[in-house]
Amino acid sequence: MPRVTVTVRDSGGRTATTSADYTVAPPVLGGYYLSGNADPTADIAGLNVRSLTQYRSLADGYTFPGYQKPWLTSLGRSGIALNMVLELKHYGAADGPQSFTVDGTSYTVPAPAMTIQQRPGTTWPKAYGYGQVIAGQCDGLLARALSQYRTMGVPVNIQLASELDTDHEFGTTEAGKTYTWAESDARAVQAVTYIVNWFRARTLPAGTTFSIGLGGFDRACYQRTHPESLMARLDHLQWNVYATSASHTALDRFRRTKDWAVADLGPVALSRPVIIAEWGVRVAEIPNQAAWIATVPAAIAALNAERGPRIVRTNYFNSGWGTLSPKATGLSALKSAYATRPYV
Amino acid sequence: MAAPTATASLNASTYSPGDPMTLTVTYGDTDTRPLTVTIVISDAQGNSSPPVRVAAVIDPVSVTVTDDSGRAWTRLSDNGAVAVYRAVA
Repeated sequence: MPRVTVTVRDSGGRTATTSADYTVAPPVLGGYYLSGNADPTADIAGLNVRSLTQYRSLADGYTFPGYQKPWLTSLGRSGIALNMVLELKHYGAADGPQSFTVDGTSYTVPAPAMTIQQRPGTTWPKAYGYGQVIAGQCDGLLARALSQYRTMGVPVNIQLASELDTDHEFGTTEAGKTYTWAESDARAVQAVTYIVNWFRARTLPAGTTFSIGLGGFDRACYQRTHPESLMARLDHLQWNVYATSASHTALDRFRRTKDWAVADLGPVALSRPVIIAEWGVRVAEIPNQAAWIATVPAAIAALNAERGPRIVRTNYFNSGWGTLSPKATGLSALKSAYATRPYV
Repeated sequence: MAAPTATASLNASTYSPGDPMTLTVTYGDTDTRPLTVTIVISDAQGNSSPPVRVAAVIDPVSVTVTDDSGRAWTRLSDNGAVAVYRAVA
């Protein structure tokens, strides 16, 4: 850590010396996600992309690196920081109980007992329940993921859940019992604490880190899901950023959740650097995606110059709301943005 | 004679490469006294020159700034009690 030292000397040779330490952070990692967890290698060729987000359900029998995804291991070995979102949300496997063997130990995991994302008029996705996790019924899923992760051998950030606020916004239901948004948040904190403790009690590849996933669109939820007791076990803060209105500026959108965090969270939480697991510009409202993307480097630099947690990775979400259209123009804009301070 | 005092503060603890960095040094010495010497030259006939005033300081202090990373700090201002320095991260 560099140190600047100040010496004040009087005419008699008496001195007073004081100093201040500081850190010059490495550049922010520009990042990417390609729809469908697809191989981004071709898209990011020639771009200063050094970070990647991926999504896996713990129900999926191929968590690390993922089914037919040896390229993920290659990218990780090449120095791209991997943010692996591990979800209790159930996909990638048939509904129902699972029996499997991990390193010689047999496990049976029950069918997922919770529903999340209970938006009226939609089909509610299933997920392993927070009660199931805390009761140890999902330990086999964790053991399977850990075994595959060790074999993969590349350290990742494990982000538990994609967006807890999206999952809980309309309440949850587990085993016939309904829970409000706030109750779901409290149960999720217990469950992710259980999962992080489970992993941390075992040997992990050096460099493994943990975070929890939030969209970051609800202040009260963000506060409820970030108690200091949990943050002490996590390495990063995380939120997602989308521009979905012509009036949205990059600075406003990236700073919204940060401002809430700075106002509401404790010193442990605020000591953690921030991963933006997803950011995107919705072309319907902002046809000139490239122009908006061009404003992001300055916004990140400005936010990191303010007090509070530093944003260290920003992964563009080329899917859903963030779909780059036309793609070539969008990738060109990312190339330019990620070649600009604070990304270099 | 008293020893000088000094405090130093940076405007941030962590910087991005290329960020401007500001160091504020607050310093003093209780012995330091500004004074003004006024000189009048008179001859034997009683003629006197106009007074000439010269500023002086009793026990002046000097401020030096060093950085173990080799970063160069440039003084932007110094009013005798507060000095501000600038560097680039």
